[in-house]
Amino acid sequence: MKTVFYTITDALGLHARPAGMLVKEASQFKSNIKLIGPAKEVDAKRIMGVMSMGVKKGDAIRLTIEGEDEAAAAEKLEQFLKENL
Amino acid sequence: MFGKWKRLSGSPADIHIIAPVSGVVIPLSELSDPTFAQGILGKGVAIRPDEGRVIAPADGTVELVMETGHAVSMTTEDGVELLIHIGLDTVRLCGKHYRVCCESGSWVTRGQTLVEFDPEAIRADGCDPITPVLVCNAGEYAAIRMAPEGGIHAGEPLFLLRKI
Repeated sequence: MKTVFYTITDALGLHARPAGMLVKEASQFKSNIKLIGPAKEVDAKRIMGVMSMGVKKGDAIRLTIEGEDEAAAAEKLEQFLKENL
Repeated sequence: MFGKWKRLSGSPADIHIIAPVSGVVIPLSELSDPTFAQGILGKGVAIRPDEGRVIAPADGTVELVMETGHAVSMTTEDGVELLIHIGLDTVRLCGKHYRVCCESGSWVTRGQTLVEFDPEAIRADGCDPITPVLVCNAGEYAAIRMAPEGGIHAGEPLFLLRKI
């Protein structure tokens, strides 16, 4: 299992557009990917779950990635978080 | 209203979702925001609102109403995951011109007011109040019929979902 830690720096938080983009990125991988925030844990491949987390600027989140392509997924998703959130 | 239901309707097991706001239905593909136009957030339509009230399009639980009021997500009692995003790029208005009328995690009934907003003021602040209404778990349904392009009133049929 791989874990990616990240603290949201985007002033607007994880709102609809980045949530959609994150789900799109995560869905390219076969691994099970969970997004864990201050309030709850959701499937990173489900739009409703990711959006309903209500993650804001300054919140610490982590992704846990488990599966055959976990290394590639961790690398790609960490890069995505840095560039977009 | 019943004529429209008839046009949309199929089997009694189908799930009905009503329009959450009055206005004009246009295809998502015509939106300037690729997140909506490419269907990244789900399938559905956009409604160009001609009034400032969004109602619950079905009975269900509000998953999240953004504090800013510009977006509401809910799961209907039938399990349909809906997103109503009031305006494009309206996250940057930080709640200006919106009034939240529901709470995250609360149960709402069809027709109940979720958010009030001021379409003219949103336009004057440089945002488009056009409102995408999306089914986020569209892949879990065999088919989704949508209301045709053109005028629609809040409460009229918007989607008809066929279970797999």
